Amino acid sequence: MFHWLEKHPFFFAVAVFVTIAFAGLIEILPNFAQASQPVVGTKPYTTLELAGRHVYIKNSCNACHSQLIRPFKSETDRYGHYSLSGEYAYDRPFLWGSKRTGPDLMRVGNYRTTDWHENHMKDPAGVVPGSIMPAYRWMFKNMADIDTAYAEQVTVNKVFAVPYNAEIPMADGSKETVKLAATLEEAHADALEEAKAIAADMKDQDVKDAVAAGQIPEIVAIIAYLNSLK
Amino acid sequence: MNKTVLAAIIVVIAMLGATYLAVGSAGGMGGEGDWVNKLAVLGAVVLVIVTVFVVTKYVRQMQYDKASGKLADENWDGIGEYKNELPFGWAVIFLGLNIWAIWYFLAGYPVNAYSQIGEYNEEVAAHDAKFEEQHAGMDDETLKEMGGSIFIVQCAPCHGLQADGIEGKAANLNVRLEEKTVKHVINNGQGMLGYPAPMPDRNGLFNMNTGALITDAEIDAVAKYVAGGMKGTEGADVFAGTCAACHGVDGKGMEMVAPSVVDYNPTLVADVLKHGKKGAIGSMPAFNNLTEVQVKALGAYVTDLSK
Repeated sequence: MFHWLEKHPFFFAVAVFVTIAFAGLIEILPNFAQASQPVVGTKPYTTLELAGRHVYIKNSCNACHSQLIRPFKSETDRYGHYSLSGEYAYDRPFLWGSKRTGPDLMRVGNYRTTDWHENHMKDPAGVVPGSIMPAYRWMFKNMADIDTAYAEQVTVNKVFAVPYNAEIPMADGSKETVKLAATLEEAHADALEEAKAIAADMKDQDVKDAVAAGQIPEIVAIIAYLNSLK
Repeated sequence: MNKTVLAAIIVVIAMLGATYLAVGSAGGMGGEGDWVNKLAVLGAVVLVIVTVFVVTKYVRQMQYDKASGKLADENWDGIGEYKNELPFGWAVIFLGLNIWAIWYFLAGYPVNAYSQIGEYNEEVAAHDAKFEEQHAGMDDETLKEMGGSIFIVQCAPCHGLQADGIEGKAANLNVRLEEKTVKHVINNGQGMLGYPAPMPDRNGLFNMNTGALITDAEIDAVAKYVAGGMKGTEGADVFAGTCAACHGVDGKGMEMVAPSVVDYNPTLVADVLKHGKKGAIGSMPAFNNLTEVQVKALGAYVTDLSK
């Protein structure tokens, strides 16, 4: 066969390509497939968290905030454990960001709380002196888009088999389940339930009234999302 | 003499002459100059001689060598190949490479492979070792200073640079307790600090003096008393009858039972950092990313704030 190949340059080139491509496949693919598996403790987003993620994208938070902690002592001291690729398994698109004008937010849920976010979004310099972050007051007035969030949940569940309604192993050995509502109405009801828990920790009366009336302001959704970043 | 050899000798002489003209005695050819220059010029000379020697050898080979030996059966468009023995040196190198490859795949690479995380681990280990060494026997002053700088990074975003809680957005750490905090704790109980038994809410707080549950008026009085640093007499009887059983007659708390309500202490700070807190103002997350020494330092710093 090799004699034949030596006399046919085109097929020789094809054979060279196949040989090298095969080597590449067995060296790169298994490692890649393993690294992109979700890390233990990584959960898919709930409807409200996903709506908050949309608010995050809509306001271009990723233009100033990264979500990627590099393995340097100075970074892990400040932000927590360095990021693992499997932690982004359910991020579509991922929000690594490319520039830190503000701090990294990869694990902000570990060290900031609902009430802090509320104060901060209203008046960043009021809690962080010298902060150049603008206030995001409209988030307290605009309503979050639950329909789109639910549509995305259904889509990623069907197309990418994101494990909603399935047991997910957590770091402490327990199992958790993230619910995917059967209908849009149910999704709205579930999101509102989650929103109520967050609004209970907030002070803004307009937000509290809106949630009591069955609406979900963007600020509640984005706080749910930020709290889920751990 | 052969023409090729003659040409080679002429080229060598010409190039050495050109080198001498270019660098002169300063280049080391005349005995002067430093050893780096001498070495460079020596290298150039060797390069010229070796190159000319090799080129001459092959030119002569092309000119005079005749092919001989047994041809292999295979031929490509009339071009054949001799059946030559594998040179011994090549065979040795080939075998040696095989052995090296086996060692490299099984032992060499896995052990010595570079990884980013490996470098990170080394960095952390080196830093920790240096930290241990530098702060082995830390005095209180250094501990407080360290606590201060950790505070700026980890605590100030909520508690403020002055630790005043930024106008009520977080706990004011310059005072132990504020009235509304005391009231909130009495009304709702508290069980986050990791003590074996949680503090009950107002439905579990008896006033020994009256033999009844604590009343609104008594809560107001005792809240003022505790927030005021347990001075004066108003509310003192309520404290003695209700709170002292766990928090101690002097309010300094009891080990494994309840924390001090008159001052901060390192244990209390460490407990809050470990478990987080939810109270009158809002909630504080647990800070388990801090090291033992950092917790100790923060304890010293926060304790000092309200003194």
